[in-house]
Amino acid sequence: MNVLNQKNPVRLSDVTKYFESGGNRTYALKNISLEVGRGELILFLGPSGSGKTTLLTMMAGLIKPSKGSVFLFNRKVDTYSPKELQKLRACSLGFIFQTFLLIDSLTVLENLRVVLRFSGYPRKETNQKAIRLLQQFHIEELAGKFPVCLSQGEKQRVAVARAVANDASLILADEPTGSLESKQGFEVISLLKKLSETEDKSVVIASHDLRIVEFADRVFRLEDGSIRGNRPASFRPLKPYSASEHQIFAGNG
Amino acid sequence: MEVYAIRTLRSQPLRLAMTVGGVALCVILMLFLISVYKGVADGSVEYVRHNHTDLWVLQCNATNILRGSSFVTASQEKSIRELPDVKSVSPVLLVLASVQKDGKEKTVFLTGYDITKGSGGPPQLALGRHVQRDDEIVLDRSFAAKFGFDIGDVLHIQEHRMKVVGISRGTNAFVIQYAFATLRFTRKLVGFPGIATCLMVETNNRESLGKIAQQIKEKVRGVEAYTHEAFLKNNIREMESGFLPLLYTVAAIGGVVLTVILSLLLSVNILERRKDFSVLKTLGATGLFLKKMIIEQALLISSGASLTALFLFFPLVHVIGILSPEVSVKATIVHIIGVIFVVQVMSFFSALISIQKLRQIYILEVFR
Ligand SMILES: Nc1ncnc2c1ncn2[C@@H]1O[C@H](COP(=O)(O)OP(=O)(O)OP(=O)(O)O)[C@@H](O)[C@H]1O
Ligand SMILES: [Mg+2]
Repeated sequence: MNVLNQKNPVRLSDVTKYFESGGNRTYALKNISLEVGRGELILFLGPSGSGKTTLLTMMAGLIKPSKGSVFLFNRKVDTYSPKELQKLRACSLGFIFQTFLLIDSLTVLENLRVVLRFSGYPRKETNQKAIRLLQQFHIEELAGKFPVCLSQGEKQRVAVARAVANDASLILADEPTGSLESKQGFEVISLLKKLSETEDKSVVIASHDLRIVEFADRVFRLEDGSIRGNRPASFRPLKPYSASEHQIFAGNG
Repeated sequence: MEVYAIRTLRSQPLRLAMTVGGVALCVILMLFLISVYKGVADGSVEYVRHNHTDLWVLQCNATNILRGSSFVTASQEKSIRELPDVKSVSPVLLVLASVQKDGKEKTVFLTGYDITKGSGGPPQLALGRHVQRDDEIVLDRSFAAKFGFDIGDVLHIQEHRMKVVGISRGTNAFVIQYAFATLRFTRKLVGFPGIATCLMVETNNRESLGKIAQQIKEKVRGVEAYTHEAFLKNNIREMESGFLPLLYTVAAIGGVVLTVILSLLLSVNILERRKDFSVLKTLGATGLFLKKMIIEQALLISSGASLTALFLFFPLVHVIGILSPEVSVKATIVHIIGVIFVVQVMSFFSALISIQKLRQIYILEVFR
């Protein structure tokens, strides 16, 4: 395993991010401070435009903060060269996108193999490793299929397998249940939860899907770029949210 | 080879076929030009190359027989014969002549030569025999094929009746073809007895050809003498100066078209799949990995196109040979390999152009 993966993956210290265009400043994140621990599943909940994606891309080192500091694996993000950031993405980060974004012209197996290549796996061994991954997620029968032939749920499983193919210690998932039915969404989150619990992977999810709250170790409510609410695991409700709670979490309350 | 490179190409079969076809056409164009060049080059100078002699003597300022005129008079010829180192002199008279058959006129490069010695005659006979009498003529093979002449046919040059007795090879200079008659007949046609275009001189002393050439120049006014090698070179240079600029221009256009077609396809492929590229970048692909993939695609297409071109080229040459026999096409392995190498280089170039498009693809696109 990568030495980086022994460390706490992300720390944000008083981070503000704004975008400037035509003299206008749009604040996407305001004074965010938090740390993601190993094996933690963290959920950022918030309405559209609240800054969830901005926060995730910041955690991946893809954008730099306007103010404050971001530490990736205990090292300030500005000190990484573009080459080092590329290595970091290839070896220590896993991504799950809302629309899965599997490569359509590659089979499921090849989709995994290409990521393994990036992480430095010897070309010959990628096949074996990819098959093991598919077995781990019980989708070995999909190996030779192309993404267009898969159901949404199958695609999402492949996407999760791809995210962990490189033994990533930090998995960043943007709206991972956004395109799924309830049951499939539940399955995906269960998978991610299992990865955080049994493999000590840190999982950060950005979503406005309230169902995920039950799985999260910590939940942050984002609104207009600021953290408005913070629920530790002990606050986890045992029954489904009421309509009013739903509104609060969706940021409409 | 990355599977992705192959798969993306295959996913648009029609576009791929059109691109391979387009590039293959450019390759065929280049192959064809080179081969025509080789054919013309050989056909134009084969006559001189084959008619080996120690020295070629022409009117001064004339350097070759392809373009430019040269007249050597009977008295000049006599003076050269009398030089101590000169063993023999064979005059050759080359004139443009109109051949008539069935009311139609065609022009040939009529070559009158000394039939007793044979110097200055056709390089090779494909059919029939050499001329033996003044009313006989040997025609170039492609000329005969194009205008339907055969051995035994009768044609007219001015009011003279001539019988075709032989068909020659290596006598097609593309724009014009050689024909062969006796020196006496050709002189009669021109109306100047004793005149020649050039003299083929054999010497007694092959070791000092330079000195003898110098001697001829000094002793006989108004002529120039060249060794066989120098004269051959002059003719090749003359032929190239007329043909090479055209060849280079058209080949360059072919190359540019090829580069444009290929880089267009590759760029469209990249932009159409920008999400893929963006995902690959996000997942940690190096710039080199992505660039290599584009280069592989380019080389794959150009290799496919080269194979297609080779496959089509030889049948095409055959068809052209039937339709217009005067176009002499000669393809050599060296030329074919050369063209394919150039095509690969051009396709590499196209890849480099298309790779610029990768810069316009951002990682953050996948989060939108
Ligand atoms: N590159 C950018 N340039 C300008 N403004 C941006 C840019 N990226 C994000 N923003 C702005 O920052 C704010 C937060 O955007 P972000 O995409 O992080 O929201 P989000 O919570 O992910 O929304 P959604 O749920 O719709 O995905 C928005 O107002 C958005 O318009
Ligand atoms: Mg978003």
